Amino acid sequence: MDESSREKNAIKTPSASDMQYYYQHMFPFKVIFNWLNHSPKAGRDIINREFAMAFRSGAYKRYNSFSSVQEFKTAIEKANPDRFEIGAIYNKAPKERDSLLKTEMKPLEKELVFDIDMDDYDTFRTCCSGAQVCEKCWKFITLAMVVVNTTLKEDFAYEDLIWVFSGRRGAHCWVSDRRARILNDLQRRNVLDYVNVVRDRNADKRLSLKRPYHPHLVRSLELLKPHFAKIILEEQNPWQDDNRAFETLLPSLHDKNLIEALKKYWTENPGRSSRDKWNDIDLVASKDVKVNKKQDYIIRLRECKADLIIATLYPKLDIEVTKQTIHLLKSPFCVHPSTGKVCVPIDANFSPDQAPRLMDLQKEMENNGNNINKTTLQPFINIFQEHVNKIMKHDMGTAKRERAEEAKTSLEF
Amino acid sequence: MFRQSKKRASSRKNFSVTDGEDGQLILGTSSASEKKLYDSIYASKLSFYELPPQGEITLDQFEVWAIDRLKILLEIESCVSRNKNMKEIEAIIKPHLQKTMPFNMDNLEAKKKDYYSHFILRLCFCRSQELREKFVRAETLLFKLRFNMLTSQDQIKFVQSLNLPSLQFISDEEKEKLKVQLYQTVSSQLQFQLNLHDETQREAYFKREKFIKLPFEDVIELVGNRQVFLRGGYAYLPQFQQLNLLASEFASKLTQDLIVTQRNLPQLNEDDRLLPILQHLSSGYTISDFQPDQYSKEDGDITANSVYSADIAQHYPLCVKNLFRGLRENHHLRYNGRQQLSLFLKGIGLSADEAMKFWTNAFTNGGHITVDKFNKDYRYNFRHNYGLEGTRIKYKPWDCRTILSKPRPARGEYHGCPYRDYNVEKLSNDLAQMNLTKTQISAVLDSCQKTEYTIACTQVFEYTHGSASSRASEDQTHIAHPNLYFERSRLLQKQQPSS
Repeated sequence: MDESSREKNAIKTPSASDMQYYYQHMFPFKVIFNWLNHSPKAGRDIINREFAMAFRSGAYKRYNSFSSVQEFKTAIEKANPDRFEIGAIYNKAPKERDSLLKTEMKPLEKELVFDIDMDDYDTFRTCCSGAQVCEKCWKFITLAMVVVNTTLKEDFAYEDLIWVFSGRRGAHCWVSDRRARILNDLQRRNVLDYVNVVRDRNADKRLSLKRPYHPHLVRSLELLKPHFAKIILEEQNPWQDDNRAFETLLPSLHDKNLIEALKKYWTENPGRSSRDKWNDIDLVASKDVKVNKKQDYIIRLRECKADLIIATLYPKLDIEVTKQTIHLLKSPFCVHPSTGKVCVPIDANFSPDQAPRLMDLQKEMENNGNNINKTTLQPFINIFQEHVNKIMKHDMGTAKRERAEEAKTSLEF
Repeated sequence: MFRQSKKRASSRKNFSVTDGEDGQLILGTSSASEKKLYDSIYASKLSFYELPPQGEITLDQFEVWAIDRLKILLEIESCVSRNKNMKEIEAIIKPHLQKTMPFNMDNLEAKKKDYYSHFILRLCFCRSQELREKFVRAETLLFKLRFNMLTSQDQIKFVQSLNLPSLQFISDEEKEKLKVQLYQTVSSQLQFQLNLHDETQREAYFKREKFIKLPFEDVIELVGNRQVFLRGGYAYLPQFQQLNLLASEFASKLTQDLIVTQRNLPQLNEDDRLLPILQHLSSGYTISDFQPDQYSKEDGDITANSVYSADIAQHYPLCVKNLFRGLRENHHLRYNGRQQLSLFLKGIGLSADEAMKFWTNAFTNGGHITVDKFNKDYRYNFRHNYGLEGTRIKYKPWDCRTILSKPRPARGEYHGCPYRDYNVEKLSNDLAQMNLTKTQISAVLDSCQKTEYTIACTQVFEYTHGSASSRASEDQTHIAHPNLYFERSRLLQKQQPSS
């Protein structure tokens, strides 16, 4: 094989037989199984758990369920889907759905999930667009992970959460704490609304958040502020483009006169960088705009700037995924059908080119005698396994406590 | 069997039968113990309705009390479906409450009525999940409304009487430690909900305020809009927001109780007096409180000709417009259409003489029906509606409930309710012609989809009478009578003749 055809091979998307190989030899079924089961012994959490399979043809098969690792592996291998997704735990096994009345199937629990997609940052993203992603714009996602993590841990006291690369340009957060799993739809909606600050993705409106900021926003702003200059003003530099500045920077200011003055100044001096424009706001405000209550005006201006930092950098969540218990989300360790990258667990140090590609993994396997332990996938599996161990420990702790409670109350009778 | 039940009933009486006539004796003698009981239940003016009532009431009271409460609950439900906020709902409901379910006063009868009616409706609404949810939603809102109507002293008294375990106040040290965050959270609420516009006022209030710490799931409604401070899985709830907590406690208790009630419901089957009433109350009861006499008719401007005029016709609800359309096209209406329209017109003040003129004209001007044929076949029918023939009954205009209970219109028939009978396309067309916006139309269609036709009609009224009807002083109650639609629309127009 010559160099150029190898090059070609590297960008080609995984074929059906590549996927077959991956499911047969590499996919960590047991880890995923235990992760969803919250216990080493197969119980309701996995037996009544919905899986959905998506196929190359566009077909989508819902309501699969498996009662053992072996059944899980065999079924996926046999169907050989492009990817498969994880849904809720029901009161009955989803595979028996056909023999049940529709009203009998009720969703009970599921991990609380969040989904962040790079698309939502396009207003302020200049390095890439659409499905592309690079080191620079991945920083949006990294920052989002930090903010969401802090919120979930400090405010909601969730501990067992893990972030998973979505395979191309986003990340999923799975919260496995029991208290999070049993949230109903109304509660999910409210947790989401609490976390989701930038609801309207149109930059042509002012965010105008309530003052004083809620402590959650105060803390988030503190987390984001140090990165604003580097990520937005320098690297992305979205407002160098004057039209973009008129459309996305000016509307977030509170004073009409100031906006007019800036518009005039930037029309006369086109192409000033984002950093220059950011500083221009203060300069023009203190020079051109005449106001009686200077003190008040400065405070308002500072608030607008704080809102802008939130608007550009605060995590932009895909709300549909979180809202409903029954919503399905792609399983960790699936392979993204168009990039060939594996959806591996990630932390704040991750960047998308660190994700192992199925093509490379296959070669690694060839070279080391099919020993998965020596591949670049194994470290990710280990990280996930550790996470699963932690969840199982926590869950057994709760189960024990609950049994003790029960024993205590039953003694009373 | 009959005797048995009678015996059982009398053995339950805790007073002698010779005391007086039924009903009277319960109200009149009202043993001191009963008064004491209700005084203690209502010591703090509100109740969580923990124990079912034990005394006796007449069947009449049973039905009247239940209907009065039901009317209020339905009104509340209608407000909610029309997206009214708490303040607007309060403005709409308060006069009703004062009229039929006064509380907050020292009146044994009123207390009993409140207590009994709540439990009677529990019997009606415990049968299915859907009914239970409906009932809990409305009762919880009613509870909130009433709590807000109490003085702050009574509120405190009431909360203390509940003895809820989750109402644990945090220590002063904890408050001191978190004071920055807590103040950040409540500051804007103090400003907008309690109208403390001055910073020093807010700080003073904050200093006095106590905070309750509880799992955030218990006040989940306040989490989404960040009205509480969260830390470590706990929400810190300021005392002035505790109503939300009480309401969710109230709702969850009631939900559980309703399920218990449902399990015990079969025991009622032996009682053939109550079941029909319960059935009647829970099945599609809608409010039709319309009293034609409450709107004056002295103008006498409704005549055989003027009913066609734009000045009058603009106030017709869609069902009446539809009937006129059918009448104009066919110079005839079938029986149900005739009844619906002629009684409506009678209701808006068309006299018997003018009605005869109107109908003769409408039927004969097409040329198919001669005046002779009209007199022979139809005249009696219209005179009958005015109580001039036969048994001479004074017929009332049909309310929406009656209209909806009739057979649906077949081809060539025009009676019924357009919000139920039109297809989506035709309805949205008609609504667009009434100058409704796209979002408004889809809101109306939504209500139709949910088979809430009278709500759809009320929405249309509000949209078409926009600015005028949003004034707080106006009667904004649910419209469940075509004549109410007409009269209210006219009244609004009269109040602002300029526009």
